Amino acid sequence: MEQLIDALAYPPIQRAVLACVLCGAGCSLLSVFVVLMKMPLIGVSMSHAAFAGAVLGMLIHVNPFLSGLILCLLTAGILGPLSDRTDIAPENVLGILFSFLMGVAFLGMGILTHTKAEALNLIWGSLLSLSGPHLAVLAAVTVLLVAFILLFFKEIRSVLFNRRLAAASGVPERPIYYALLFLTGAIVSSNLTTVGGLLIFALLVQPGATALQLTYNLKHFFIISAFSGIAACLLGLVASYLLDLPSGAAVVLAATAIFAAAYVFSPKRRKAGPKKGKPVS
Amino acid sequence: MKRTGASGSAVHDPVMELEGITVRKSRGLLLDDVSLRVSRNEFVGIIGPNGAGKTTLLNVIAGFERFEGALRLFGRRESRKRTRETQLRIGYVPQLFPIDPAFPILAAEAVMTGAVGRLGFFRRSGEAEREKAMRLMEMMRMAHLADSPLGQLSGGERQKVSLARAILQEPDILLMDEPTANLDIAVQREVLILINELHRRENMTFLFVTHDFTMLPAAMRRAVLLDRGRVVFDGDVSGALSSETLSGLFRYPIELFERNGRRYVSYD
Ligand SMILES: Nc1ncnc2c1ncn2[C@@H]1O[C@H](COP(=O)(O)OP(=O)(O)OP(=O)(O)O)[C@@H](O)[C@H]1O
Ligand SMILES: [Mg+2]
Repeated sequence: MEQLIDALAYPPIQRAVLACVLCGAGCSLLSVFVVLMKMPLIGVSMSHAAFAGAVLGMLIHVNPFLSGLILCLLTAGILGPLSDRTDIAPENVLGILFSFLMGVAFLGMGILTHTKAEALNLIWGSLLSLSGPHLAVLAAVTVLLVAFILLFFKEIRSVLFNRRLAAASGVPERPIYYALLFLTGAIVSSNLTTVGGLLIFALLVQPGATALQLTYNLKHFFIISAFSGIAACLLGLVASYLLDLPSGAAVVLAATAIFAAAYVFSPKRRKAGPKKGKPVS
Repeated sequence: MKRTGASGSAVHDPVMELEGITVRKSRGLLLDDVSLRVSRNEFVGIIGPNGAGKTTLLNVIAGFERFEGALRLFGRRESRKRTRETQLRIGYVPQLFPIDPAFPILAAEAVMTGAVGRLGFFRRSGEAEREKAMRLMEMMRMAHLADSPLGQLSGGERQKVSLARAILQEPDILLMDEPTANLDIAVQREVLILINELHRRENMTFLFVTHDFTMLPAAMRRAVLLDRGRVVFDGDVSGALSSETLSGLFRYPIELFERNGRRYVSYD
């Protein structure tokens, strides 16, 4: 315990804690959308876009974060109109994009020779080596997402409930959906260096899945999700610091543990268990 | 203002005009040259067998389907893309939609999503909307379900939520896609009586899609029979409900007879 409190005096550790909170909050708020819109592949596609973009950036000597962000936003721009088409299921669109981007990323990895290790870091990420400017970007993007949720909560609820019904009743469903895709791109690409391109997927699903076990209230849903995401990141950080584990892996294992606990103690599952009979009035 | 008689009689104040509406897919025509005029306050039934194109027709009107031909809503020529104003004036009650039992929304909240578009950005749905929603739910005798998770309601209860949601939008035209499908006979009756009552009170134009001609709301005066994407009959409900027409439409021998002013159906 003392060891932990001492550690908090060091600026790099302070930065890591802040990164945890921002990464946990951002990813877990997004996970609400991922889980309720049933689009788990969106996280995979975006993280691979960010990863492929970063690798390409290293190849052509552009800031990898910037090139990752650009490719993410491009992916969002393609995904939106494509998933509005009725002749292809969104999940298939995502699957195709995902494998394409993975191909691009590995192609880039193959060409990269001397900075391969740096690229590999982007797969695992690290909470302990973030720069100040990077933190600022992370904070800005997270604040943007929180503002979006607060300002458009009733529109978001109606779109999450049913996109088509929302559109039919005059809710600007498409702008809301597109904004969400772009925010996903921004959050994922700015978290590539924190939890890494491979493990971020877990943070984009598990907090939302945890909340799904615990509440029927959408406001609480966002809050529970955010807290479980932040908790997973902090727990992971502490474990990685104390036991000298890779931080990304520790974070994901912590998130899984939190989800398992929520699942076991879920009041919703217990209530929904026995079928209740209802008299027809 | 109500339309009576068969097609060709005077139509007042049309809110919806379809001319030669055709929907083409690679497999063929889903709608084939459909023309229809509906005036304010009318209650029109769209009746036809499975796959006749009823849902497709509603989707054309609601803006969910590409089409050829001319569609005029409230006097304005429309394509698939709609302005928010037009979208707001058209309510849609879908054929039963699936919902995850764990989805975080309560019945009353689901009803209130109907008001979101009307309110617009940055305006909270306050006490007034909540009261309207509660009144509607009371009228539908489901006020006690207001705080139940939507995913745990029965099919009939969910259908009523869907109906209340569309009414709260306060549209001028209400499109209903088989609102009584999957309901048991008592709940079907209840929902039909409710729909009658709503039509009387709300001053809306109703389009009611069904394949079940034995369960029609009393307020429905006009029937449009749809078969393989074509309008095969447009006129009085009583004219549509003949053994001959129905047997042809459903390709099955159907006998209809009346006794004490009630219609009975018999089929093997
Ligand atoms: N996207 C599509 N592409 C091709 N064919 C389609 C498509 N959607 C529907 N169809 C076909 O169009 C026909 C009409 O469909 P529609 O859903 O309008 O029928 P319906 O009258 O509503 O039937 P039901 O009573 O079963 O709801 C059906 O034969 C259906 O198979
Ligand atoms: Mg249908």
